[in-house]
Amino acid sequence: MPNVTIDGQTIQVPAGTLVVEAAKPLGVHIPVFCYHPKMQPVGMCRMCLVEVGTPRMDPATKQPVLDENGAPMINWMPKLQAGCATIVSEGMAIRTTTPTVVDARRSVIEFLLTSHPLDCPICDKGGECPLQDHTLHYGPGKSRFYVESKFHNEKSVPLSPLIMLDRERCIQCARCIRFQDEIAGEPVLGFADRGRGLEITTFDDPPFNSNFSGNTIDICPVGALTSRDFRFTARVFELNDHASVCQHCSVGCNINIGERDNTIKRITPRENEAVNEIWLCDKGRFVHHFAHAEERLTTPMIRADTDLKPVSWYEALTFIANRLRPALSEGGAKTIAGLAGDRVSNEDLYLFQKLFREVLGSNNLDHRIGWSQWNAGQELVKNFGAGVGTNLGELGKGTTILVLGADPQNEQPVIRLRLAKAAKQGANLMVANGRVTKLNDSAKQSFVYKYGEEASFLFGILRAFLDGQLEKSERANVDANFALGLNLSVADYAERAGVNADALQQLAANFALSENGIILFGREFMFAMQNEPALEAALNALVVLSGHFGNKNNGVIALYPHNNSMGAFDMGILPNGSAGRNALQDAGMSAKDMLTKAKVLYVMAADPARDDPKFRNPGFMIVQDLFLTETAQKADVVLPAASWAERDGTFTNTERRVQYFQRSLEPMQNARADWEIVQTIAKQLGAQWNYPSASDVMNEITRDVPQYAKMSHERLRVTARRRSSVQTVGGDSAEPVQIALGELFGDMSGVQWATVSETNADAKFEVKFIAPKADGNVAANVPYMAVTRSLLDRGSAIQFSQIVQPRVPNANVEINSHDAEEWNIADGERVKITFEMKPPRVLELNAQVDGTVPQGTIAVANNLQGTENLPMGARVKVTKNV
Amino acid sequence: MFEGLVALVKGMLTTGREMTSPPVTYQYPEVKKPVPPRFRGRHELKRHENGLEKCIGCSLCAAACPADAIYVVPAANQDNERYSPGERYAATYEINLLRCIFCGFCEEACPTGAIVLEHDYELAYYDRRSAIITKEQLLVAPPKPNMGTPRVMPDPGNLYAAIPPIKGGTEPVNIVEMAKAKQ
Ligand code: SF4
Ligand code: SF4
Ligand code: SF4
Ligand code: SF4
Ligand code: FES
Repeated sequence: MPNVTIDGQTIQVPAGTLVVEAAKPLGVHIPVFCYHPKMQPVGMCRMCLVEVGTPRMDPATKQPVLDENGAPMINWMPKLQAGCATIVSEGMAIRTTTPTVVDARRSVIEFLLTSHPLDCPICDKGGECPLQDHTLHYGPGKSRFYVESKFHNEKSVPLSPLIMLDRERCIQCARCIRFQDEIAGEPVLGFADRGRGLEITTFDDPPFNSNFSGNTIDICPVGALTSRDFRFTARVFELNDHASVCQHCSVGCNINIGERDNTIKRITPRENEAVNEIWLCDKGRFVHHFAHAEERLTTPMIRADTDLKPVSWYEALTFIANRLRPALSEGGAKTIAGLAGDRVSNEDLYLFQKLFREVLGSNNLDHRIGWSQWNAGQELVKNFGAGVGTNLGELGKGTTILVLGADPQNEQPVIRLRLAKAAKQGANLMVANGRVTKLNDSAKQSFVYKYGEEASFLFGILRAFLDGQLEKSERANVDANFALGLNLSVADYAERAGVNADALQQLAANFALSENGIILFGREFMFAMQNEPALEAALNALVVLSGHFGNKNNGVIALYPHNNSMGAFDMGILPNGSAGRNALQDAGMSAKDMLTKAKVLYVMAADPARDDPKFRNPGFMIVQDLFLTETAQKADVVLPAASWAERDGTFTNTERRVQYFQRSLEPMQNARADWEIVQTIAKQLGAQWNYPSASDVMNEITRDVPQYAKMSHERLRVTARRRSSVQTVGGDSAEPVQIALGELFGDMSGVQWATVSETNADAKFEVKFIAPKADGNVAANVPYMAVTRSLLDRGSAIQFSQIVQPRVPNANVEINSHDAEEWNIADGERVKITFEMKPPRVLELNAQVDGTVPQGTIAVANNLQGTENLPMGARVKVTKNV
Repeated sequence: MFEGLVALVKGMLTTGREMTSPPVTYQYPEVKKPVPPRFRGRHELKRHENGLEKCIGCSLCAAACPADAIYVVPAANQDNERYSPGERYAATYEINLLRCIFCGFCEEACPTGAIVLEHDYELAYYDRRSAIITKEQLLVAPPKPNMGTPRVMPDPGNLYAAIPPIKGGTEPVNIVEMAKAKQ
């Protein structure tokens, strides 16, 4: 740990620290443009120049030479050094306030401004612009140039449908290029030309087509890259920033909602080093227009004769109560069912299940519908979820990460960034799926197994554990039949799974011997788990026998599709599990059964009619949503719900982190928060509920759900700031400028709940073998269709954001080149895909022949134009369309 | 007694003099008092010589206003619908004259000299709503009738400097032409 002296103050910093970083804890400010703490230094802009010296050494004694005062004598380097590219060494001295440094800074600013327009008043960066700030602090204060004598360049160059480039404003720091290369791993930006003509271009077609392109807007230190969504809609200093959480996927990125006049103007990342650092994907950033859509429901409606007609809340609630009471007494609770989407908050879900379990007396509850219908692995998460304190972005050497059947690039985008970062820091990232995804780029070892043979893949690893005596059984109760069940050799299992046996052996050894181990499993794996009970048992065995559970940086992460899928499990929106993840003996109807057997259906924030065209109104149906969804059109009562921006609450992300989000907007007309609606219905039915606010509901959750004890809103709002003590979420909202300046706080907020293996250190876990189902009905030569998901699709929220529409991809079918040859299909040709199902279904799509799918598999993204409601796991026939 | 008489005569003389001197009362509203040149009355939004609006919708006036009386919603100029030089203009511009304290800070903050507190002081309204004056009311008439905004500019795709160069007067400068000329 070298000691360095900066402007007379001495500090000890870890070896390898850069001068700019060493200065921060001392409160010494070294201005930067091209340097950013999240990226490698390049030393391009020279703004960070400082005087650097090293102690003079006596060659004989190898000791520093001391002056008459006993202080070491310093050899000052003859020229200024770039603080962002200089690594500290023992005894180094740095001066940042000398006239030479002041002069250098002034000159750099003046030089940058010779080709910088006088645009601050109309520039979207104005007010949070590092160039403005630094010019004010370190600039010459007076210009020696007239505007006419400045260099001018093209303005308003659309770099992509989302981002506008102003070539005059670019100061050529390459932060945007480096972000795309180093962090997003999608190197689609570059410099063209030289000198003053140097300009940012995109090599991509369609232009700048990256899932993370919006982040370049934040880190660009000037207004060269601006959001075409936010462009010229407000000045940044007019916005009210509200601390919120993204609700588009299960990562739970922390966001600031920039609001003006009760309208969302922009969404920017809010730093949370444990969740999203300072990044967002383009869905989270640009898809917010639905909150203000004209189509929003603004009043309750009830069905009169055949049409839905607007009524007051009072009428709607009386109508519901009058219809529910008789239904309750006649059919009993058995025929009343509740379907809740897993996008609403924990408070909503908790009251929803309380209404059903306590007021209506029914366990007919479920959330597994739409993308969430495959949500599985709840026992694994409850017992072995990645330990409290796990931070994917901090993983490195000594950690093995195994990712099974997931496509985080499209489904949990920011997790992909964090896994790539971990791999870069030395973590051993191993990826296994039935196809190749973007994550494979970062993997140390990749496996492409045969879809349907996931169990063989895991059995192979387990067999290798047993063969190599790699298993750790201190906390395992291994069933006697376990070893007997695994009756094939590693080579045989590998062959079944279609992977290399040696590589599988190596994976097993790496995982078992690694200091820490984390397993992430995604939607495709969960789908397999639901079809094959052996798989969950095998995954359970893998976790228990590897010993990777029960502490930080160990355990499993289930990559669920939605922002609060985890909360839906925690709050017990399940027919067979109550709040707190307790199993229920007398299970109710699952979502599938409800759609056929229920007589009364209460749907909160779900759209079963869109997901299943056969869906009918079961008799009496209440729907509570933002929009008149297909289900709502069939309902008897439609209730307008408030969007996530119009109320507060908590979401639990896929790493079990419970996060609080503030209310940012006034609710639209008559819309009410979901928990509020549930409460009024309960009161109509005679329940004595009294929850004046969402935090009162949360207080009850803290008492009722052991995992959530102590998670009151007050506690969740606290953010730990490494550099400036404790703040509360929303207490300080200067994030955008801090991100641009590269002066991060190291914020973290939210609380993870502890799993069984953590809270009960003595607990032992069963390891069982379940024989896989014989898969006799599948002819091996019939292609398997993998259903994929793209970041932006035709989802109900996305369709209101015009700006992202050009980025919604066209549907096509990915075909392996060998298959394409065999089927006589060329790239780009029209093909016909016939499903082996009844009634027959045919898709016509363009072929994309590439290496992302293995032979015998095709992949089609769901929910694009023409690919709605694709069945998972279908066997298909592929022919050329003539 | 004599002294009293002198005083009376003096008084009457003053009265007589004032009776014959011209009146100081203005017959407002028929007659209006001219105001000093730097008088700060109701604001006006000025135009360039070619009729484009000087206001570029930057909200700096609103930020400077101590009474929070100004409300600006900006938007982007289009080629066939240009309001101001540069890329941005004020789509909505409102001043609440009941809040305004006529301090002139907005005028000082404005980078283009668009907003000027002029000499209109007749600021009475029948209701509070009409004390909020809109862009249409604030904007001065174009120098020639065919110079109004929005308008189609002859050179689509070209951008004008939002803030006119210091030396170049008030004519918006086509910066693309300028860059070309230099090369
Ligand atoms: S990038 Fe910064 S300095 Fe340049 S015009 Fe915009 S606000 Fe002003
Ligand atoms: S566009 Fe912005 S981030 Fe990219 S090089 Fe230019 S100034 Fe840097
Ligand atoms: S990764 Fe997920 S949570 Fe994060 S911004 Fe994107 S959609 Fe939102
Ligand atoms: S009047 Fe001036 S300061 Fe106000 S918005 Fe217009 S240009 Fe900006
Ligand atoms: S050279 Fe150091 S910040 Fe740019």
